[in-house]
Amino acid sequence: MLKNPHEYVGHDVIKVDAESKTTGEAVYPNDIYFDDMLYARVKRATHPHAYLKKLDISKAEAVPDVVTVITAEDYPDLNNFGLILKDQPVLVGIDEKMRFMGDALAIVVAETREAARKGVSLIETEVEELEVISNPIRAMEEDSPIIHKEKNMYDSNIPKRNIARSNNLIKGDIDKGFAEADLIVENEYTTQHLEQLPLQNESGVGYYDSIDDQIKLWVASQWIHDSQADIAQSLGVDKDKVRIIQPAIGGAFGKKEDISVHIHLALATLETGKPVKMAYSREESMIAQSKRHPLIIKMKTGVKNNGKLTALEVEVIGDTGAYASSGPAVIHKGLFHSTGPYEIENIKGKSYTVYTNNTYGGAMRGFGATQMGFAYDSQMDIIAHKLGMDPLEFRYKNAFEKGSETATGQILNRSVNVKETLAEAKEMMEDKEGQK
Amino acid sequence: MKKKGRGLSTIMFGFGYGEGFPDYSKASIEIKDDGGLLIRTAAADVGQGVQTVVTQIAAEVLNTHTSKFSIVEGDTHTTQNSGSTSATRQTYFTGNAVKNAAQDLLGKIYFYASKEFGTNYPEMEVEEGYAFPVGEKDEKLSFREIAYRAGESGKDLKGEGTFYPETYDFDENGQSPKTYVAYTFMTQIFEVEVDTDTGLVEVLDVKTALDLGKAINPKNVEGQIEGGTTQGIGMALMEEQVIEDGITLNPNMTGYVVPTAMDVPNFESRLIENSDSEGPYGAKGIGEPVIIGASPGIANAIYDAVGVRITDLPITPEKILAALKE
Repeated sequence: MLKNPHEYVGHDVIKVDAESKTTGEAVYPNDIYFDDMLYARVKRATHPHAYLKKLDISKAEAVPDVVTVITAEDYPDLNNFGLILKDQPVLVGIDEKMRFMGDALAIVVAETREAARKGVSLIETEVEELEVISNPIRAMEEDSPIIHKEKNMYDSNIPKRNIARSNNLIKGDIDKGFAEADLIVENEYTTQHLEQLPLQNESGVGYYDSIDDQIKLWVASQWIHDSQADIAQSLGVDKDKVRIIQPAIGGAFGKKEDISVHIHLALATLETGKPVKMAYSREESMIAQSKRHPLIIKMKTGVKNNGKLTALEVEVIGDTGAYASSGPAVIHKGLFHSTGPYEIENIKGKSYTVYTNNTYGGAMRGFGATQMGFAYDSQMDIIAHKLGMDPLEFRYKNAFEKGSETATGQILNRSVNVKETLAEAKEMMEDKEGQK
Repeated sequence: MKKKGRGLSTIMFGFGYGEGFPDYSKASIEIKDDGGLLIRTAAADVGQGVQTVVTQIAAEVLNTHTSKFSIVEGDTHTTQNSGSTSATRQTYFTGNAVKNAAQDLLGKIYFYASKEFGTNYPEMEVEEGYAFPVGEKDEKLSFREIAYRAGESGKDLKGEGTFYPETYDFDENGQSPKTYVAYTFMTQIFEVEVDTDTGLVEVLDVKTALDLGKAINPKNVEGQIEGGTTQGIGMALMEEQVIEDGITLNPNMTGYVVPTAMDVPNFESRLIENSDSEGPYGAKGIGEPVIIGASPGIANAIYDAVGVRITDLPITPEKILAALKE
């Protein structure tokens, strides 16, 4: 083997942030304090699917140390936000819908955390309840209530209900592929709602700096420039007026791609002129922020007796919950990865990103390709056993190599070492057996 | 009774946003007044180590120790867009942007230094923050001094770099000749032990072969493999946010069970380095791929151990016991 020709690349350099994070010197959003800082807390939805008919904040306003309570009435011109579709309201107004338990109804700003919490607990609501849709299959049925009124939140090509987006994956001739097959294997795979669970809950400090005329936000974000643009369009201000200063972040795993405390902090500091801090509890974080999408994956695979894959038919139904977030991209990324690293000439696939009243689905490590991996590589094992082939040999026979074409029609011409990973794994297995 | 089994998984991950989405990173490198080098990027470091990776890359290009570099945290008003820390893209995208910025700075240093030395451009070398004519270290000029002299003639000595690879949007059939910038592949072998009385599954051993082009920092790669796989074990065997009629029944860490140190198996990892990608020094992204193999690999190992096939995650003891009964 060649000696590493590099001085720094390829070496185990100690992480540049190791010292500050080990000594506690690193400043995370929740570590930031100002002398005259206020604390904000959000009153969340009281029902997963209902019209808000009445919102009584008088008792909250009467709590000592509560500075103000902000509702949609105070900011009627706010725009919805969202990573792909602008479908998520900053605050739910009267006669508007709450679509999941994380929707925000009001922001209580107080001198102390305790007063903010108490204020939230004293806000009273009256709602008109609607059918709660927790299952994406029910959401697609003809008589299901429609979760979003706006037509542009839906895929116009699909007559079924509550579908934010649908995608196709079509290549070759699926009938020919199944006709060539000696064995056809059909299975349904289902995955669950997952929480990314970074140790640090959503938190941050907002301060309207009147000298610079900037809303300064110290909030952990995976993409500050994208968050800045979304916040600015939601508030209806120029991008330059919104400044995100990234503190130390900590884990995110996809959960810090979405807006969380950002816009509420901006409103609270604009309203009070003071720095305001907000930190979610774990419960609030789990209910109000994105989840890994549960997928229902139906997979039908054709294979010859010699182990050559001939056809794949796949349907993916993804529950994106109340809002799209990254959902449309997550679900079709799953669909696009449905062959795994194996060459299949004939494919027919369809995916649906479906609204429900569950906590919304967003980004999480692997972005749809993780759920799909469970399906295709369980399927590969099942087929290998049915054919009586060694699972490793079966994979090797179908694996991509230089010049292979993916399910989406990309010719792989660089860095395609999947067969090398199989060979290396085999060697590791044999090494271990040799030791026994 | 406890039964052992072994399961395999092979996965792929197309990384970067891809699909024609405008996806790029920008970075710059400045020479500070104290002679140190400052890297500016908005790339979020969520513990995966992008700040370390780009420091190593800049140190490599400028032949100057990593300790001489510092890096700013992102600020929308002082750093330029480096895209998101997601889609397994930062090493590849911001790594290349910083490499380009470092090369831009190096080119400028050579240009101005060769004027000072009267050498044939670019017959220059750099080492530890100094430039000198090839083989004549005693003649050295510091980067700071070169920047100062360039500044006197109104030139700002600063390296800037952008990496903006093309991908193409897909058609109505989901077809695109360049869907993603590149693909990472991985094969893993899981050894599990299933207790047929309780349905409990213990993951004993994980062997990983990862196709990553080039490991910029091998130890951090191993950390990603072990952390990602452990998170995948959570998905495979225990984690679920239970939402019934829109209500989360377990919104806390008592009810939402994740792997602890006691659930972490033994790991043996091999890094397949062909340095054959367009990433910096041939590197590919690995952050997301390393979580994918666990759930199929463990499902396959459970089948090997006790002959039951679970297709619904997570694979809880209840599901295993119910399947064993059938």
